[in-house]
Amino acid sequence: MSATNLDVAVVQETAAPRRARPRWFWYAVVAGAIIVISTVRVLTGANDIDSSGALTAGIALAMPIGLAGLGGLWSERAGVVNIGLEGMMILGTWGGAFIGYHYGPWAGILGAILLGMVGGAVHALATVVFGVDHIVSGVAINLLGAGAASYLAVRTFTGLPGGGPTQSPPLEQLPFLSVPGISDPLGDLEQKQWWLVSDVAGLLRALLTNVNVLTIIGIGLLVLTWWILWRTAFGLRLRACGESPVAAETLGVNVYRYKFVAVLISGGLAGLAGGFLVLVASNLYRDGQTGGRGYIGLAAMIFGNWRPGGLAGGAALFGYTDAVQLRGGGDVVRAYLLPIALALIAWGVWQFRRRRQGKRITGLPMVIAGLLSLAWFLLSARVPDEFTGMTPYVATLLVLAFASQRLRMPAADGLVYRKGEAG
Amino acid sequence: MRHATKLAAIAAAAALSLAACGSSSTPSPGAGDTPAGTGGAALKVGMAYDVGGRGDQSFNDAAAAGLDKAKTELGVETKEASAVNGEAESARKERLQQLIDAGYTNIVAVGFAYAKSVGQVAKANPEVKFAIVDDASPDSAGPNVDQITFAEEQGSYLVGAAAALKTKSNHVGFIGGVQTDLIKKFEAGYVAGAKAVKPDIKIDVKYLTQPPDFSGFSSVDKGKAAAEGMYQGGADIIYAAAGGSGGGVFTAAKAAGKLAIGVDSDQAKTAAPDVRDVIMTSMIKKVDVGVYDFIKSVKDNTFKAGNRVFDLAAGGVDYSTTGGKIDDIKSKLDEYKAKIISGEIKVPTS
Repeated sequence: MSATNLDVAVVQETAAPRRARPRWFWYAVVAGAIIVISTVRVLTGANDIDSSGALTAGIALAMPIGLAGLGGLWSERAGVVNIGLEGMMILGTWGGAFIGYHYGPWAGILGAILLGMVGGAVHALATVVFGVDHIVSGVAINLLGAGAASYLAVRTFTGLPGGGPTQSPPLEQLPFLSVPGISDPLGDLEQKQWWLVSDVAGLLRALLTNVNVLTIIGIGLLVLTWWILWRTAFGLRLRACGESPVAAETLGVNVYRYKFVAVLISGGLAGLAGGFLVLVASNLYRDGQTGGRGYIGLAAMIFGNWRPGGLAGGAALFGYTDAVQLRGGGDVVRAYLLPIALALIAWGVWQFRRRRQGKRITGLPMVIAGLLSLAWFLLSARVPDEFTGMTPYVATLLVLAFASQRLRMPAADGLVYRKGEAG
Repeated sequence: MRHATKLAAIAAAAALSLAACGSSSTPSPGAGDTPAGTGGAALKVGMAYDVGGRGDQSFNDAAAAGLDKAKTELGVETKEASAVNGEAESARKERLQQLIDAGYTNIVAVGFAYAKSVGQVAKANPEVKFAIVDDASPDSAGPNVDQITFAEEQGSYLVGAAAALKTKSNHVGFIGGVQTDLIKKFEAGYVAGAKAVKPDIKIDVKYLTQPPDFSGFSSVDKGKAAAEGMYQGGADIIYAAAGGSGGGVFTAAKAAGKLAIGVDSDQAKTAAPDVRDVIMTSMIKKVDVGVYDFIKSVKDNTFKAGNRVFDLAAGGVDYSTTGGKIDDIKSKLDEYKAKIISGEIKVPTS
């Protein structure tokens, strides 16, 4: 009874903007992106733009960001801001390495999750039970996580063969899986560099061959999260705690318990993100290994409008652009200038032709920016390295600049809730 | 409610103090025990490591080796402290001052991050003798400071020549950890060496991060991604001047069946066992020699302030031959080495 009442309220709020875009819209976007990228590749000869190598590296770089973001999603959907993701991730790197070294990589996954959950438990205790400001507690967790992990590393890795105070011994890696028999044919197809065909082959090769089991588990967790939070009563109640804890309380939901569980799961996922770094991406623990990826995960979640699909898109964008710049993609970044320039010019001209005074003013600088990009594209062979390093951040800024008006965070996110406030 | 706030405050305080634990200095094993046979008061040497500290299998460990040698051969007494990632300038100053206050009046600061702190602490403690590794800037200069630097470009020139002699695709790569002036010296020497052998060689250059982001020295996965890109793009030998990220380069080399070049220490001996066979050679930087020389000079009363450059001629840099992968070109490399020492070849530093 209580659940059905809530159902009506929440579904109306979140589902409304979705209905404006039918499902085929996103398939069309993906198909359109492949066609545009393929065309750009053929026109510019920047073959690394969607080579299976670049895409594989992109997936590997996106996973820790996506898992951390997923952790943030659980916590923030229940109304607890989790800026401590970075600290929980660091705890996860140590847990994954320590347990992974002694009991094998599969146990290492559990170790990473467990240590992340310890961080989550501290955050939950502080924010949910004691009502500490979420940001203050999160910052404390980040300091605690970094300090505890490097302390534990000194105590546990010193003296092991190949280990030291700041790094673990090399770890056994989790297995990589492939759909048998398709790697070589797809590779040949990719080498042909045909329009569209080679691009699809490269994409399939990246998605179906040499995929780590933890990547598959991570994608599974993303889908599972979506299903639990949006398709079960448990998820509905959890999100209600983030939208309006007072309303949830009046309907008999134990808000403390839901928030606590959400932050625990959040910590576990952030820990798993650290575990991915240790067990898949690098095969050892190293001090400072996370490099701020917990924060980027948080950004990816905001970017994705507090939804699993958007979050995956944000992480993928970040991972892909990071892979491109790490692979020395000066030519790839230059290639992207062409569609960006054309899009800016087309949009600017369209705005200008609408003949409304306000729109004219926004149209002109767009055309100018587009022409400048076009000139840059035509006059250079590659974008300098100092600039390609900024690519992930510039791309995020660009997308956010166009999309930020549509973002809506859970209504009670970050607010301290005390039991009995409903009066 | 009030109780809860108090409890939370205690929890936060506990968190902070625990966090501080991670940065506490670890006394060296056997600190304080005076070796027999020295007689009288032993020389007291305090060592402040860069991030990573003793056990990083690279830069800091090389410095530690020099200290250990001084301990056994010169019978000095030592105390060690280590930096943590992202610490404030004041923390480094504090660390140096604490070593001095504990009576260790000969200080070795490892890494250019200490430049400003050494300069200031040296001015405040004129009777204490300092050595700083990897910095020759005016920041750290003083009448009681020995600035130890290395001619990394000369060693890098030799491994660059080795890469050019060994490449089959006429295409090699360079991966730097962070784009600092120091690492640019490695790049400049490597490029010059490779071009000296094959003027038309293609050299990919990539820095993992830009300062002030120093995570490029500890991002194994980024090193791996960058190296994969270069190998797939046709390079067959990559020089990894990237600290801990070099491990990712070696993993990528192993997976691609290609070769890599190590840095700072003989990494064919110190890297993870399963990737040692892809390390063709390493550019060795003998930080231990610099550290040991400083301690010895203090002990012998021959201490001299100012910049000392450990170059090829002084044996401060070199290339390694472990694994025997470059035995066939060793004579050619030694020719280049002789020319650099004689001054016939001038290696650029930027």
